[in-house]
Amino acid sequence: MIELSDRVRAVRDLSREAAADLRSRALAIDVDPDAMEEHYNSPVFEMVRLADTPPQYRESLPSTPLLRAMERGSCLENVAGLIELARGDVGAILACPSPGLAGVFVELLGTPEQQEWFFTRMHGGRRWSFFAMTEESRGNDATAMETRFDRDGEGWRLNGGKCYVGNAARGSVGVVFGRTGRGALSIRAALVEVPAAGWHGEKLDMIGLRGAYISRLSFSDVAIPAGRLLGDHLPVTRRGIFAAITTFNHMRVRIAASAVGTALAMVEYVLEHRKNAPGGQLALARAEAGRELVYEAAARIDGDPERGYLSSAAKLGAVGLAVGTAHWASAALGPAGLIEHPLLEKWTRDVHAFEFMEGTSNIHRLHVARGYQAGDADA
Amino acid sequence: MTTSLLECERTARSDGLAAGLARALPATPADRLAPGRYAAVPAAAVPEGAEVRTHSLADREDIVFLACPCRPREERDAHELADFGRHLAAVRLGVLRSVLDHVVEHLSNRTSGDEPLIRKQLIAGAIGDVMAAVERLRAQVRSQRHPAAVADVHRELDELGWRVAQHLGASGFLATSPARSLYVSALVAGTWVDREPEGEPA
Repeated sequence: MIELSDRVRAVRDLSREAAADLRSRALAIDVDPDAMEEHYNSPVFEMVRLADTPPQYRESLPSTPLLRAMERGSCLENVAGLIELARGDVGAILACPSPGLAGVFVELLGTPEQQEWFFTRMHGGRRWSFFAMTEESRGNDATAMETRFDRDGEGWRLNGGKCYVGNAARGSVGVVFGRTGRGALSIRAALVEVPAAGWHGEKLDMIGLRGAYISRLSFSDVAIPAGRLLGDHLPVTRRGIFAAITTFNHMRVRIAASAVGTALAMVEYVLEHRKNAPGGQLALARAEAGRELVYEAAARIDGDPERGYLSSAAKLGAVGLAVGTAHWASAALGPAGLIEHPLLEKWTRDVHAFEFMEGTSNIHRLHVARGYQAGDADA
Repeated sequence: MTTSLLECERTARSDGLAAGLARALPATPADRLAPGRYAAVPAAAVPEGAEVRTHSLADREDIVFLACPCRPREERDAHELADFGRHLAAVRLGVLRSVLDHVVEHLSNRTSGDEPLIRKQLIAGAIGDVMAAVERLRAQVRSQRHPAAVADVHRELDELGWRVAQHLGASGFLATSPARSLYVSALVAGTWVDREPEGEPA
């Protein structure tokens, strides 16, 4: 069992309280993710935005216990809070205008000037960021990406396209990956601000998790001014995609946390409406065990960020747990239960999205097998 | 399978969920047979003026949810409901086969290391597992009439549909994807099949 520190417990408890705000917005965001005006005032959105922003680039806002608790901390602290927020609604979390994953990369690879450029553009909570890596024909095989940065004087021209990128079609600023040459080390990330000539984004019509505003992007000679490529000040091996392995390990645990949080939400919802639902206590026990695994994976990442065996195992297990819980919940409230309970029905759709976020289950099966052979299961 | 069950499967595979459901529905009016407060029916079959609920994904499959009186279990015709559950399972098998056809085409056109994904052992094995499960479920639908056995088939179809959709990655989560019909077919079954029937097969 992972023993949570006082600080992590405080984050967990405050996030648990905050989840109610997200849940109250969940169905409205699912029905119309474009109608965000009514959600800008969410205190949780503000909390997430500030937690995603390095302290030196934050806007000045009144300090509250919740904000103080969201000071940037360990992976364990991060996922302990996220599981609780996900019990509110993951779609609402992903609809939040915040630096998000793009911010993580800018902090990792950006100069202080680039960081200030990016993070100050996120002030005010009315702008979305995007992290554009996946390509439609290449899935998560990022090393095979075809999007290019073509030299143009001191700057670059961006050509190609990306797909399944959260908030991209409504995003204002973000990170786009492409290649400056043929080798794996030529894969680089650039800061992009839109609207820009040659940039086209469209929201994709998805089965669920509609708050994520999953989008397709296409680029035709989009101008990337000099100084927008991230990592020029770093050694060649630390500039691009390979610098980010530790971040991906961290992000996988976050997806696992989202899946476990949604599983917990579904079980609790069913038991609230049918106290003695058959299989309810078993479903709850499984979800709580999933939470324990996510805690353990996060603690492992805090100890050794480069070893991803347990983060892959946790992601793989959490997705199966969430989908299995959705199947149980679909039947637990009796015939037509999902038609009578739209929030539960929404979650049973949402959970399928966790499958392809941060690597599909097949990719993680391979990671887990390799990690096992490397002795990581006994480390 | 019987001719009728086969026709339900074939119709759903070739013409879609709503066509399969239309073929499977018995003569008894849906609102007299349904076990819950709503019953999925083809939109074209809804009596004029009847109360319905709609769903954004079901709309695209031409299916709506008809309001029903939700009769107590003792007043339901368990035999007729279970028989319809078998035909609905055949419809879901047809939908699953249709999506699996799409999956095989999808995986044949995507490559990893210059090799089509369909040739990877991990993938080919998973497709083999799906079809082995399909054959087993077809046999169960054909030979077992007890409500518990019928409910068991539908539970397995929920899981099997997910295993098929996974092969499409993010593209299978598009509302325009053929995989949408797997989600809606599970929603449809959820209105017709009581997953907690009394008793067990003798």
